[in-house]
Amino acid sequence: MAVNYQHVKNRIMKEEKNVTSNEGQVMQIDAFLLQIKNKSDKLMNYFLVLYFIIGLILAFFYDTWTIAIGVGSLSLIAYYSTKILMPNSNLYQYVLSIVFGIFMAQYIYQMHGLFEMHFVAFIGSTVLITYQNWKLQIPLALVVIVHHASFGYLQYIGYNKIYFTQLDYMTLQTFIIHGILATTVFFICGLWAYHFKKYSERHIEQTFEMGRLQEEKLQKEAIERSNEELTKSNKELDRFVYSVSHDLRAPLSSMLGVIGLSETGTEDAFMLKNMTMLKTSIKKLDSFIQDILDYSRNARMEIEKEEIHFSDLLKDISNDLKFMCDGKQKQVDIRTMISNGIAFYSDKNRLKIILNNLISNAIRYQNPETSDPFVEIEVNISNTAVNICIKDNGVGIGKEHHEKIFGMFYRVSKKSTGSGLGLYIVKETIEKLEGSIALKSEIGKGSEFNIYIPNLIS
Amino acid sequence: MTNSEQYKYKKVMVIDDNEIDRYVAELVMEKNLFAQKVVCIESGRDALDYLFALEGNPEEVPQLIFLDINMPEMNGFEFLIEYEKLSESIKNNCIIMMLTTSLHEEDRIKAKENKYVFKFLNKPLSKDKLDNFGVYFQSTKTNLNGSEI
Repeated sequence: MAVNYQHVKNRIMKEEKNVTSNEGQVMQIDAFLLQIKNKSDKLMNYFLVLYFIIGLILAFFYDTWTIAIGVGSLSLIAYYSTKILMPNSNLYQYVLSIVFGIFMAQYIYQMHGLFEMHFVAFIGSTVLITYQNWKLQIPLALVVIVHHASFGYLQYIGYNKIYFTQLDYMTLQTFIIHGILATTVFFICGLWAYHFKKYSERHIEQTFEMGRLQEEKLQKEAIERSNEELTKSNKELDRFVYSVSHDLRAPLSSMLGVIGLSETGTEDAFMLKNMTMLKTSIKKLDSFIQDILDYSRNARMEIEKEEIHFSDLLKDISNDLKFMCDGKQKQVDIRTMISNGIAFYSDKNRLKIILNNLISNAIRYQNPETSDPFVEIEVNISNTAVNICIKDNGVGIGKEHHEKIFGMFYRVSKKSTGSGLGLYIVKETIEKLEGSIALKSEIGKGSEFNIYIPNLIS
Repeated sequence: MTNSEQYKYKKVMVIDDNEIDRYVAELVMEKNLFAQKVVCIESGRDALDYLFALEGNPEEVPQLIFLDINMPEMNGFEFLIEYEKLSESIKNNCIIMMLTTSLHEEDRIKAKENKYVFKFLNKPLSKDKLDNFGVYFQSTKTNLNGSEI
């Protein structure tokens, strides 16, 4: 469960991160566009002043000062007032587009229809590309169309003081070609504006993506590094625990050796009894050290999967437990039934800890009233898991203890000789292997532990 | 004195840095008529010197060596690497048993993989272990190094 929960949490965190990264990307694009806008706005100030000054220069030719100053300043007022009054809107850009159109009309008029002045519209069109907004071409185009249509019409019906062209006549064909060329320029300028914007957006996206990938890479490297360090310190700690446990156990085994020798040197019942008590205490301390070692290994070490040969494993365990009984207790018959045929993969050391604890419990808590104490180990392997049943005819465990028996340092009665860690370690180890354990037991009849451990064959 | 016929082995070597463990091993073997002579040596280096000196004198080579793993200067496995350099006449007459308190599964595996190591025993050495080992050993001794002892 804990693992699943963590998984979900990770996923949520990842999604959250994606959302923020998208927001960040949008923010970055906005910032970029704002930068373009500010730069372009600055540029427009020069252009507009230049337009106004050119108007003044043109006024010398036909003495059109009223037009140059009147129309020119009205245009500037229109532009700057919109810009100042609506700073958060792009409307002033559209006004600018119209202003460019009007300057064209102004120049044409000032030069009394000098045909080259028509090209002024194209200058405005290209200047507008800098905003990277194709729609800005529309107001300019509209002004040009309206101007040409109205002024052209008015001039040709003979209206005086209207200057559109210096040509004496203009055929419909010329007019249409004129229109098509102008439209093409506006269209292409709009297209460029559109493309520039798309390109900028893509460029930002890529930059952003690259930044994100780099960040991910750095994070991954950091995780790998800390994993490496963790593995290293785990290994060092493991070595440390091993040497300490060895150094603690070595004197104990020396003591057992000396006591064993002393036992053979005396017939004195009192001495023998004392020596047995010494041995019991030493063995208890020794198994306590082993339990702590098992516990700390299980908590820290990675699962190392390999093929498990249950018959070998159980033989090893039986051999190790052979010297457990000391005179007082009967030799327990260890019976094994293993279903063969399917390969089973798991962590051998952990399985050994589990089985060793349960089988040694069966030996330790045998029923003194039974003539044939036994422990029966049944192993059923499937493709997905193994079911192990460890059944004995020992003293059994009362119902009231069933819940608590897997708890740390829990001991059933004062007759319990172990550390109170054994079954806790069994449970912890099984959980590490993502398995489960269940207990069935009745006082006086025996105990049955059913273990389920997944097959790590895949 | 006990007749030499009664002993299972003529000469057994114990390599262990711990004095008490050497004492226990020696006494257990003598009391249980396991070895007629027990040579106790406190370091792998000294044991190698001892064995080297017996080149050309295979009669005197110990039939069994009980080898501890955790020892200063030269541990049991380092001893085994050096041991390999000894002549065949010595190695063929000699069987090595690991006798240790190590719980390290790697030690057990490493010992089992070594062709000179016959068995991995946990301390302390006791009568039960000697009896058990004797039987096991007798039944398989001809498979070891392909030579009779």
